[in-house]
Amino acid sequence: MREEKLGQLLSELAKRSAEPVRPGLAEDIKQRIPQHLPLYRAGRDTINIIIDLRINKLAAAAVIILTLLLFANFLGGKDSNGLYQDSKLVAKYLLSGQITQGPDVAAAMLKYKYLTEQGKDVAFYGDIINPQDSNAILMQWRLSDGRFRVMFNDLREKTVSPAELIKLQTRMLQGKAR
Amino acid sequence: MERRLDSLAEQLKKGDPQAASELVDTYYEGIYLYMRRLGHNQQTSEDLTQESFMRAWQHTEQLQNNSALNGWLYRIAGNASRQYWRKHKGRNAVSIEGFEIPHGQDSEDEKLALQEQLSRLSSAVAKLPLKLRDVVVLHYMQHLSIAEAAEATGVRKGTFKSRLNRALKTLRKEFG
Repeated sequence: MREEKLGQLLSELAKRSAEPVRPGLAEDIKQRIPQHLPLYRAGRDTINIIIDLRINKLAAAAVIILTLLLFANFLGGKDSNGLYQDSKLVAKYLLSGQITQGPDVAAAMLKYKYLTEQGKDVAFYGDIINPQDSNAILMQWRLSDGRFRVMFNDLREKTVSPAELIKLQTRMLQGKAR
Repeated sequence: MERRLDSLAEQLKKGDPQAASELVDTYYEGIYLYMRRLGHNQQTSEDLTQESFMRAWQHTEQLQNNSALNGWLYRIAGNASRQYWRKHKGRNAVSIEGFEIPHGQDSEDEKLALQEQLSRLSSAVAKLPLKLRDVVVLHYMQHLSIAEAAEATGVRKGTFKSRLNRALKTLRKEFG
């Protein structure tokens, strides 16, 4: 088959296989837009370089913690509880050997910080969950419509009703007790 | 369209959250389909699409050239996909199934033949090595220009073209 014909067929494949995207996806993504997009910062750039170079994950995590501490100090150190929670999250991942990708941890921490800065009442379970359980709830917060948004240990997110949340929490606590 | 993307890139660099929202509206379907065409299942594609945008907002300082918005975003998305495959080495690529063949003047036989051709081609694309699959998807299915797709894969245009040739050669062999 000639290259041109193959190219045409690939374009046809793209056209015919364009499956519909879940309608709520764009809104889910928009919910995660930070109030202020981060501009160039030396500390964050350091993290990116480390992640891009894919150096030792423990070293990368240590630098992430250090950078967070430096930022918190630099910004006045008022959010000591949030910082404590962030450090616990990373420390927990580190100690359990669950830290897999720098960006994952950084994304969870950014999310947590963003939500608390937005004044959301975030319940954080990073220090009590079983790190092996990818379905454990890492954090949860209430939405304006009365439902809850849940972030799982593997960073998946889902909107659930109060009844579903109780089920998830029960399952998580049962798993922990076992 | 090009001017709108230029202004969008400019606003993103200034840290405007409204531009971040516009970026989502403009690209979320494209990035989701890019993930699906790279062989991720629906749930993973959604997760990786979300992650790509989150990473994009953290990397606006890397958006140096306004006209490179496509290449910049697809590069971030491609990195997210590659990291996923590295993390889940045992997983196989899944090809999209079910093709929309519109009712037209073609006979039933012609429609069936086209459906079969597309199905075989889809499997052949899914079997390509990751690097080759990426170039085919970016150029032929996401319709990025050679320059944009080369930017997205982080290689020179010449290297990209040579990968594309290799990919087409492999597909021709598989596809007959």
